[in-house]
Amino acid sequence: MSLNRRDFIKTVGATSVIVPLSACAAPSGARSAGGKARIVVIGGGFGGATAAKYFKVVDPSLDVTLVERQQTYTSCPLSNELLSGHGKIEDLQSGYDGLKKRGVNVVFDEAVSIDPAKKTVKLKGGKTLNYDYMVLSPGVDFNYAGVEGYTEALANTTHPHAWKAGPQTLALKKQLEGMKDGQTFVISVPPGPFRCPPGPYERASQVASYFKSHGMMKSKVLIADANDSFSKKGLFEQAWKRHYPGMIEWVAGAAGGKVVKFDAKSNTASSDFNDFKGDVVNIIPPHHAGIIAKSTGLTNDKGWCTVDMLTMESTVHKDIYVVGDSTVHGELPVYGAPKSAHMAATQAKVAVGAIVAKINGVAAPEPFFVNTCYSVAEKDWGFSVVHIYRKKDGKLVYITDAGGISPVNMDDEVQLVLQRKLESEYVHGWFKNIMADAFA
Amino acid sequence: MRNKMLMALVTIGLAASSAHAGMPTEDLASTCNACHGLNGVSVGPTMPSIGGLPEAYLKNVMQQWKSGERYSATMGRHFKGYSDAEISALATHFSKLPWVPVVQKADAKVIAQGKEASDRCETCHGATGSEPDDAETPKINGQWADYMHLEMLKYRTESLKMPHKKMRNNSKKLDAADVEAVAKFFAAQPK
Repeated sequence: MSLNRRDFIKTVGATSVIVPLSACAAPSGARSAGGKARIVVIGGGFGGATAAKYFKVVDPSLDVTLVERQQTYTSCPLSNELLSGHGKIEDLQSGYDGLKKRGVNVVFDEAVSIDPAKKTVKLKGGKTLNYDYMVLSPGVDFNYAGVEGYTEALANTTHPHAWKAGPQTLALKKQLEGMKDGQTFVISVPPGPFRCPPGPYERASQVASYFKSHGMMKSKVLIADANDSFSKKGLFEQAWKRHYPGMIEWVAGAAGGKVVKFDAKSNTASSDFNDFKGDVVNIIPPHHAGIIAKSTGLTNDKGWCTVDMLTMESTVHKDIYVVGDSTVHGELPVYGAPKSAHMAATQAKVAVGAIVAKINGVAAPEPFFVNTCYSVAEKDWGFSVVHIYRKKDGKLVYITDAGGISPVNMDDEVQLVLQRKLESEYVHGWFKNIMADAFA
Repeated sequence: MRNKMLMALVTIGLAASSAHAGMPTEDLASTCNACHGLNGVSVGPTMPSIGGLPEAYLKNVMQQWKSGERYSATMGRHFKGYSDAEISALATHFSKLPWVPVVQKADAKVIAQGKEASDRCETCHGATGSEPDDAETPKINGQWADYMHLEMLKYRTESLKMPHKKMRNNSKKLDAADVEAVAKFFAAQPK
């Protein structure tokens, strides 16, 4: 059922007249010869899959093609929990049958180049697709050169970054399982912005959880950070003090935590001031927007895609809407909207609304962006951050009256324990729903 | 800090007996789907289904979160970002969707234990949770057991700010050993 359809078609003025899509005169050029707009979505993660689905929810008659490299998607959210032995990777995966059932044409291939003038996409397999509108959701790619001595080959073999969930996550888990009491697990955090702002600190927590549950109380996690603060810092530090006293050490950028060099032979990550030698060293390399965004010229000098904040349309090329981790979006202290699954999904919905409105020659609906991002520091110990962005005076603003992190302190211990337990449970309910919202 | 322009537009929309002007309610509501499921039917056991719940109940709860009258782990931080008009529009929207019970199987003994202990719930929610006695009480048949269990833990925590004295008292009167069983009993009811 096209439940959102009538509301995507906005009326002008105060009178509410419902105009069915089919009755809307298409602005010239907005539709292909066949009468239907051709929409191509590149990338089948949370952003791309949600976009593909919602086009079909809003108007099943739209011609929607999703291009994705892999037949199975593995969620990054909850993948840190796999390290400590909670859950199975299969629980974090989805195929694309749900989208196919909704009528999305799913093409398993790789987009190798986009011609924004001709509005075509070349695929690795040889096909060329035409589009009227594109949603580009390529996620991130890594700048291995950012850490001298660290390479993609190392990432795929002995030193997984595991910052894209999948085989590397399992490889890192195996390394953790091979550790002995008293050994050190080093995590190197790249300069922001990076995918999943609280992710490295959640990973440190999950590694410590593994140590603790295996009686490895002399083992340590060392976080060498390029940055001087981090997401949910107060909440993480409270959790570490309570659950892993003395087991997690954080070295800020200003204290020489920024790793610039890695020596795989001696397992040493180095900043300009310190050497961090570990028994397992997990380098999270700096990243930037997915390569396809870069090669299409959509990125700024820092490697990220700039977009119209209210519609997600690229500020570089018309009719290409960029969503998810590859964008810089929204004013927020430090780096703008967080690169999270929830943010990608909410951006995707806004892009769909804007595109469908454009196809029908009406103004884009008012955007509303929500982010809920949970972290699990230990069993029954979860917390979150909420962000709400909305339009104000023609601009997108972060609503400071709302949102924010879970309370660090509460009136009493019973409340605190319940608060953390609730969010450690809610994250799993959130996960099932947001996966279904994107893929089912 | 409210967006007056937006409020005005939403109000105009509402006055015209729909929310077609300003932010369409269904656009706004689609942001709820990420956690509560398409059409308000949740597929995640710790997240409640919200489609088809009574309008007054939904509106009350959202307003109570916004004002801080009702404790929440997460939702209060959301609703401080919504205007009163938007909350009303969302309550109307979700109340008009069908209530789709997600019937969850459980051990027959546990269900029997839950049924036995659910007497005190019956007056307000109905024998199977499908017939609330007033517009401010939610249906709970086929609601997620895990969610209801966690919700009762909130009501049972003395120091937490939870409204609804009757619900607080009755939750606290349940034996600790029966809380989960009661949740499972209602979760197993198709109608």
